[in-house]
Amino acid sequence: MKNPRQVTRSDAIMMIGIGIIASAVGIALGLWIDWFPTAAATQATSIDTFYDVLIIISVPVFVLVTTVVLFSVFRFRMRAGEEELDGPPTHGNTRLEIIWTAIPSIIVTALCVYGASVLSEIDAAKADQIQVTAYAQQFAWDFEYTGSNGKKFLTEQMYVPCKPTTEATGEGAPCSGQQIKFDIKAVDVIHSFWIPSMRMKQDAVPGITTHTKVNPNRIGSYPIVCAELCGIGHSIMRSTIHVVTPARYTAWLAAKSAAKTG
Amino acid sequence: MEAASIGTADAGHDHGEHHGPPVAHHSSTVEAQTLGMLLFIVSEIMVFGGFFTAYFFIRVVNGNPWPASGEELPQIIAGFNTAVLLSSSVTMHWALESAKHGNRRGMKLGMLATLLLGATFLTVQINEYVHLGFAPYDSAQASIFYGLTGLHGAHVFIGLTLLLFATVRVFKGHFTPDEHQGIEVPGIYWHFVDVMWVIVYLSVYIL
Amino acid sequence: MPAQLKTAGWYRAAAFTLLGLAFSFSLTTLIRSLYGYTPLIDGAAITIVSMIAVPFFFLVGLGAFDYWFYWAAGRPTRAEDHASHGAHSWRDYFKVNTDHKVIGVQYVCTTFFFMFIGGLMAMMVRAELAAPGSQFVDGQDYNSLFSVHASLLIFLFIVPVFAGLANYVLPLMIGAPDMAFPRLNALSFWLLPIAGTLMTTSFLMPGGAFASGWTAYAPLSTTQPLGQMCFSIGVQFAGASSIATALNFLVTIITMRAPGMSFWRMPLLVWANFATSLLVVIATPFIAASQFFVLLDVALGFHFFDATIGGGRQGNVVMYQHVFWFYSHPAVYIMMLPGFGIVSEILSVKSRKPIFGYRMMAFSLLAIVVLGFTVWAHHMFVSGMQDWIRVPMMVTTAIIAVPTGIKIFSWLGTMWKGVIHLDTPMLFTLGFLTMFTLGGISGVMLAMVPFDIHVSDTYFIVAHIHYVLFGGSLFTIFAGVYFWFPKMTGRMYNEKLGKIHFWATLVFFNLTFAPMHVIGIQGMPRRVADYAQQFAAWNLAISIASFFLGLSTLIFLYNMVNSWRNGAKAESNPYRSLTLEWQVSSPPPIFNFDEIPTVVGGPYEYGVPGAVHAIMGGAKPEPVAATVGSDTESQEG
Repeated sequence: MKNPRQVTRSDAIMMIGIGIIASAVGIALGLWIDWFPTAAATQATSIDTFYDVLIIISVPVFVLVTTVVLFSVFRFRMRAGEEELDGPPTHGNTRLEIIWTAIPSIIVTALCVYGASVLSEIDAAKADQIQVTAYAQQFAWDFEYTGSNGKKFLTEQMYVPCKPTTEATGEGAPCSGQQIKFDIKAVDVIHSFWIPSMRMKQDAVPGITTHTKVNPNRIGSYPIVCAELCGIGHSIMRSTIHVVTPARYTAWLAAKSAAKTG
Repeated sequence: MEAASIGTADAGHDHGEHHGPPVAHHSSTVEAQTLGMLLFIVSEIMVFGGFFTAYFFIRVVNGNPWPASGEELPQIIAGFNTAVLLSSSVTMHWALESAKHGNRRGMKLGMLATLLLGATFLTVQINEYVHLGFAPYDSAQASIFYGLTGLHGAHVFIGLTLLLFATVRVFKGHFTPDEHQGIEVPGIYWHFVDVMWVIVYLSVYIL
Repeated sequence: MPAQLKTAGWYRAAAFTLLGLAFSFSLTTLIRSLYGYTPLIDGAAITIVSMIAVPFFFLVGLGAFDYWFYWAAGRPTRAEDHASHGAHSWRDYFKVNTDHKVIGVQYVCTTFFFMFIGGLMAMMVRAELAAPGSQFVDGQDYNSLFSVHASLLIFLFIVPVFAGLANYVLPLMIGAPDMAFPRLNALSFWLLPIAGTLMTTSFLMPGGAFASGWTAYAPLSTTQPLGQMCFSIGVQFAGASSIATALNFLVTIITMRAPGMSFWRMPLLVWANFATSLLVVIATPFIAASQFFVLLDVALGFHFFDATIGGGRQGNVVMYQHVFWFYSHPAVYIMMLPGFGIVSEILSVKSRKPIFGYRMMAFSLLAIVVLGFTVWAHHMFVSGMQDWIRVPMMVTTAIIAVPTGIKIFSWLGTMWKGVIHLDTPMLFTLGFLTMFTLGGISGVMLAMVPFDIHVSDTYFIVAHIHYVLFGGSLFTIFAGVYFWFPKMTGRMYNEKLGKIHFWATLVFFNLTFAPMHVIGIQGMPRRVADYAQQFAAWNLAISIASFFLGLSTLIFLYNMVNSWRNGAKAESNPYRSLTLEWQVSSPPPIFNFDEIPTVVGGPYEYGVPGAVHAIMGGAKPEPVAATVGSDTESQEG
């Protein structure tokens, strides 16, 4: 009978084949699953693409480890009569060790370079900005706008303008326009300002002003979530950002300004 | 029950060949106690490291003037205190050298002098707190001032307690030229406390 | 005075506890009267002082300091009669004992006790989360539940259970009769129940248990009710225990190896604990410092983190996170490296092959120690720290995957062409290999700043830490407990139940935690008692799976208890292992070895014809007369 510990060329081909198929299935699954909430900013597009790349790289690593484990278990497991048997006294293999040090190093370095470039992309400032100050306090958000009359006012719901790029102007219509720059302040404890649909998150820290930017690109209303434990009402500390057409935005701003001055 | 379990232990000892554990092989030239103390000091340095991190953030990252206007830190008195503490390191060393040479009188005097100098340091420090003019709850700067000097003061107190034990043993006739770990190990700790004070003094009072 | 109150033990401990309460009450009231504070009797102040002072009184009563008191007073230290060494009945496990084997068992049992309490809290968390809205706890209680859950499982289970396992096997493995400082070892253990009691009983405090997460970020933690102090003070006791044990391991490994046991002949479990202990000694003081700050802020009104008081000299909030994570990231490796050691032992023995690339395995441990200190700010990518720190921290964090990858691939190399014995410890080891790979992969993803910005503080993080700490650490803990169960108890565990336990754990672990990746990316933040309707289906599924996961631990509990009482007698070396702990009886004799063995080869020479790791019984007679004097010396703490 054939020695089960003899690994032949056909075994190797079989493992590689299974590995490739499993990786392909895993990657397909990873790309098919609708992981993210609706993307509503250009930042979201960059980050979602980045995530796809991470999936494509990660799945084969997991498949590699699992395939070797399962193959070893099936082929090398102790069979009856082998109770006293020992394996071959292999102490190592320098070439192999260099390979599995070098390849992961290259992969993570490449990922870091890509990650850094995505980071600078999502952080890039546009010349045309609307500045909004977000105040976080237990357990509500307040947003400070500069009204059309130049006076500042506070609102609990955010409205931002975005110019539709097609005929459609309703919910889900693609759009582009000004960048929203948030100055984030905390009144009491640490909170975290997060718009899942725009993928951007930034802690609100007492004593300092933090910043984040989003470039909305989809008409609609999206939740604003507090992501940092801030006490008893942490889970209800929510608000909404409404991405609307410039016309609606101007109307809203005028109404708010009037309400404040009047 | 108590007696019974001791009885079994004794019985176990009796028909075994050994009356205690086998002698451990000594695989290092460093004494276990000395090494333990050195590692403990590494840990202690890191505790100070945590406090110095706070100091760094409150003073440097926040970028505020130190000490804040209207507050003065008694550099001269603290400088005197530094001299007191550093001289206690010398007397500590003297006590250890005396122990190594079997000089019992030197041991006693050295230990007493070290204790006295250490106690003087603590007294001056507490007196300084009383007359400082600001309290730890006034501001973060005050908090970290009291935090760092207080942490160090606590270490002086721990060091003095260890030295007190050693002194008691010196006066009871312990320690010989061959066996003076009981002085040497707390001595190492004491030197660490002194060096740490120099760093605290330089960063908090002088810089 | 009755004799029971004079001898060390539980009666004296109870008396001293009362004494400690009286002391705390008087001290606090005295100081308050000196300062003229009103009211004179302040419950909160007395409670805080008691939480610090009473444990010491308790320990004195129990006898943890007896020997040192004799020493400090300069009295002739009693002849070492070894009365407090070894266990002759179950009662001895409830005393201050200096035997590392007894302490090891004390550690493992205590930590598993707290694992069941922490696990129960997880079940309550999942029950609350089974549906959106409020089921049976309010926001504060919910926050308390997950905070205590995490704190207990981190500080009272994973960190100390590894110390317990290593306590038992490490001195045996290096051929030492005990740890370097047996009395300090006993003290380290007894600090643990104190920390655990503080954290668990914080639910009895007015205002409830601490509720600011195990991270206790200031200024939330400095504005919480009294229960928060149970965390700040409890962590001090757990940390002190951890540091003392680490010192003890380092000194033991450096000074007490058997003749011939060079560093390159040490089993990898010893290497792993060496690396872990370095991390503990260097990093743990930072969490002590962070909790000192919180303690001082709350108890004495300091303002380390108050950005509003003392304009021009105010506090810094982000500082807390830097100090905290400078410990708590290395802590992840403190919770993982000993598991790496366990896995190396089991894989080599159960594959009947030498460890593949032994030296690289040791070097990668040290590389993780060094790199572990350079990655802390990856927890703070959205914290408001300086932007420029992000990219360097991303790079170091990604690079730390390389030494970890080396270890995983070397383990695969160790299995390759071996004779794999698929019993329970090995199954858990293989489960670890695959699950930890997943945790490592999501770790590299999280290192990537742009992705982390989206998922930090979401259920993706919850999934990641559980893949690392449950799929990683806990799987190795189960593997280790099954593996050394025969050595520790002298009985064999039930293999069938062990395998059922493994498969139940593996399946329900994945059903519980894998979906959390999805809901996290979908936008569900962590630490919320309530959530949007869109996450309801997943959460219900997770909750159901988690209850089965909880039930699966009962199989383990039954197996351990029943096998300890009724299991078949274990041989001294049931796995034909080469390492030293298996060369002595099960359980080992009270002083481990009759004579210190002499090590002549590597620990993993399976399949090498005629290979010997150690010669038992002492190769050549030691010069007994010359070393008798140092006998009690080596025992001195």
